[in-house]
Amino acid sequence: MDILGYLLIGFSEALTPQNLALALIGCFVGTIVGALPGLGPVNGVAVLIPLAFSMDLPPGSALILLTCVYYGCMYGGRISSIMLNIPGDEPAMMTCLDGYPMAKNGKAPEALAISGIASFVGAFIATIGLMLFAPLLVRFAIHFGPAEYFALFVMAFATIGGITGANPAKTLIAATIGLALGAVGIDPQSGVPRFTFGSFHLFDGFHPIVALVGLFAISEVLIMLEMKAHERSQAIKVNRAFARWSDIKPTFPAMLRSSGVGFVAGVLPGAGASLGSFLAYTMEKRYSDKKGTFGKGDPRGVAAPEAGNNSAAGGALVPMLALGVPGSGTTAVLLALLISLNIQPGPLLFQNQPDIVWGLIASLFIANVVLLVLNLPLVGLFTRMLAIPLWALMPLVVMVSFVGIYSISNSSFDLLVMVSFGVVGFVLRKLDISLVPVVLGLLLCREMESALRRALSISGGDPWILVGSGISIGLYVATALFLVTAIVLSMRKRRAAKVSREVEDEYVGD
Amino acid sequence: MAQARWSDRIAGVIFLALAIWLYVEAGSYAVRFGDPAGPSFFPRLVAVPMGLLALVLILRPDADPTWFRWPQILSQAAMLAVLFGYPLAIEPLGFPLSTLIASALLAKILGATWLQALALGAGLGFGLFFLFDAVFGLPLPTGPLLG
Amino acid sequence: MIAKRLAQAALVVLVATPAVAFEPQNAECIAPANPGGGWDFTCRTVGRILDELDLVDGSVQVTNMTGAVGAVAFANVASKRADDPNLIVATSTVGITQIAQGRYPGDVDTMRWLGMLGADVGTLMVGKDAEYADANALLEAVKADPSSVVVGGSSAIGGWDHLRFLMLAQEAGVPADQLGDIRWVEFSGGGDAVTQMMGGHIDAVLTDIGEIGGFIESGDVKALAVMSDERLPAYPDIATATEQGIPATGYNWRGFYMGGDTSDEAYDGWVEILSDLYESEAWQEAAVSSGLTPIWRGGAEFEEFVRESEARTRDISKAIGVID
Repeated sequence: MDILGYLLIGFSEALTPQNLALALIGCFVGTIVGALPGLGPVNGVAVLIPLAFSMDLPPGSALILLTCVYYGCMYGGRISSIMLNIPGDEPAMMTCLDGYPMAKNGKAPEALAISGIASFVGAFIATIGLMLFAPLLVRFAIHFGPAEYFALFVMAFATIGGITGANPAKTLIAATIGLALGAVGIDPQSGVPRFTFGSFHLFDGFHPIVALVGLFAISEVLIMLEMKAHERSQAIKVNRAFARWSDIKPTFPAMLRSSGVGFVAGVLPGAGASLGSFLAYTMEKRYSDKKGTFGKGDPRGVAAPEAGNNSAAGGALVPMLALGVPGSGTTAVLLALLISLNIQPGPLLFQNQPDIVWGLIASLFIANVVLLVLNLPLVGLFTRMLAIPLWALMPLVVMVSFVGIYSISNSSFDLLVMVSFGVVGFVLRKLDISLVPVVLGLLLCREMESALRRALSISGGDPWILVGSGISIGLYVATALFLVTAIVLSMRKRRAAKVSREVEDEYVGD
Repeated sequence: MAQARWSDRIAGVIFLALAIWLYVEAGSYAVRFGDPAGPSFFPRLVAVPMGLLALVLILRPDADPTWFRWPQILSQAAMLAVLFGYPLAIEPLGFPLSTLIASALLAKILGATWLQALALGAGLGFGLFFLFDAVFGLPLPTGPLLG
Repeated sequence: MIAKRLAQAALVVLVATPAVAFEPQNAECIAPANPGGGWDFTCRTVGRILDELDLVDGSVQVTNMTGAVGAVAFANVASKRADDPNLIVATSTVGITQIAQGRYPGDVDTMRWLGMLGADVGTLMVGKDAEYADANALLEAVKADPSSVVVGGSSAIGGWDHLRFLMLAQEAGVPADQLGDIRWVEFSGGGDAVTQMMGGHIDAVLTDIGEIGGFIESGDVKALAVMSDERLPAYPDIATATEQGIPATGYNWRGFYMGGDTSDEAYDGWVEILSDLYESEAWQEAAVSSGLTPIWRGGAEFEEFVRESEARTRDISKAIGVID
């Protein structure tokens, strides 16, 4: 079999002691960088590309080091989501929804272990998908034109109302706020600056990571300050040091389903890991949230977005390698990295440089296994993070966020924007308006608007192009079914509302 | 006692005003040739549901939250003063000094003793500077102290 | 940061004035875009080679200052670092197009233009199964009905890719008042545009050949014309537009500028450093492997060239109706 043979060659090159040591370093650095809010793969790779060059590593070894950092960041983002309610990067946002409540219920080790295993499952399935079906998937992905992408984004925003237990009108208004914020800056199609008040600083719009850190991290510190000292120290406790197998096992079906959803989202360039983890969470919630436990610390609510996020990250490699088209910000970084190693991704990569492709696939498998092995023992270390007093932990988180953003943009204006987002986030949280749709709107606004505008540019303004293909009609029908079932279910739920409200009060009141 | 429901109403009015402003402001962006939708179409497409949802908020508000607790609001205000001051100080004072001061103040607000706060500030100020500027090679402003 | 740079600049002027030749201290290159783009590539590759060949003292710091197609970096250098002798900024034809259309806070005289090191070439292509045999066939179809062909590229409406297609259309005889009817679709990169064409969503693409050369080699797309003076050595089978009776060229050169208040000494020093870099084998190799054709213009000659192309781009933009 060709594939096995190639894979063996890939592994035989990758599995040297030096490379394994590099993999270990890369995974560790990636996990830490990913876990720190404000620092992400962009920082990690910006730091490591010159390092790889100055160490004079052969391309294969450099590739292993850097893919380990890339995957490590994907793993790491969840840690601060669970422990601090502050996502380490954009896709890890969804993990806050159930991860932090689990930690509050004393189940931080379980949440960390489940999310670690879910990350492994997601990334593993995605790597297999990449290995077996890349050329086939590319043929599927190119059928997604602007109109089809627009239908996909409509589906994401139409289903957003159900992601939190709060008032759906508030969740939807949060999405419109995010979309409006995303429109700030130079319009990519026409070059017209919009909502910038003439300031050059706003011409590039709000960077998602600035908004994410501001909305989540700064507002979290403000909320924390509201508690009295003794309340704060009791906010999170740990029941057990390690997770039990019986806690993890029931989440496997959720991981498998979410890996599939995430992978498909990842393969489509422009959708990316954030959409992957979002869709995985909403689908899983709709499918298995029979008792209304999602959002209150349901382990499946942790497993789903993490599996979705990591399999989307793997899926995004398909268009990146086979077409040279980066599907997301993080794959753009990886693309830059391959180019600086003198590897040009594109349609010829699989034919002309199979050794590179299979070496990369082998590195992905190695990164994934190393990360799992590294992360499970680290659960203990991360839970001990909670022993650090808040007066030290929070300034550390805030200052690292500041320096991470400043070191990329070199602009103190961005830091002021970040603090302002913190104030907005605080107010929105007080009003019980979820922050997740705000960030998602900001992240997807550009792509969604571009898809719509491109479709209309193609048709010369004729709106029928939006429903002109089987794929887009199928997506709209799926969206409609989703909404109808949601409404039916919520009506049924309302009938049982009185009973469950008593249970809820007990649950939240601890 | 009936709960007050003013917060959502006020927020709704603000969002409604924002939606109207978005709609009107978007209209000022001229449509260039060869661009059928133009730069004003999508913001208006967002402004309409925002305005409608704002009306829902005004007409069916939830109960008011507890906006602040006394005396914690003082800490929150102090925290914001430090956070807004820090970006303004980073270039004139340099990264190590401004980070030292800001993180020491944050630690103090969060309940550290002065000694703990200063130790943390010094650690973060010089530690992060060393890590980013010297080890990672990402330049940070040094300021008059080390310059 | 500013204080530091100013202090450094002052120090350098005080200490280094009697020195024989100019030598930048802590050289810095601003890439006015995110990591991974063309400007970032220019800074990083040039920085790496300058470092390898010891053309500058120490290593070159690359700073990404993203925003508004280079306007943020331009404004920053003009207002804060106009006299910094250690700072160079990556730019290209795209930047000059922005200046010509009044999208930067300043004009060409705001900066000093150091030189260009290589150029990418605009290429017109269609899907592999498209009916058009050459550039004329495609442009005839456009002429017959300007809205019948949907064209895409990596620039906004009025940007360099779009302008280059309109130049071709104009030369082929499409009346000026119908140029606006041609359907142009912006994508975030050349690769995206080509992929969308392969999916059948658009009919033709005009963008730089460097980024999408792989698709031509693999046979996924059919290149109809390159907008260069001569055929490209790497793609000898692709006819130039001029050969096909459409006299239009469209390069996208890569080069650098520095602040407008820098000393002649620093300016001449950098021109010499870049000229040495251009001569090196390492640059020639790096340029070719990323799809660039090495071309050198430096110093006064380059200043002149920038002025000319700015004026020409402004005229074209006006004629086509992109600006008033």
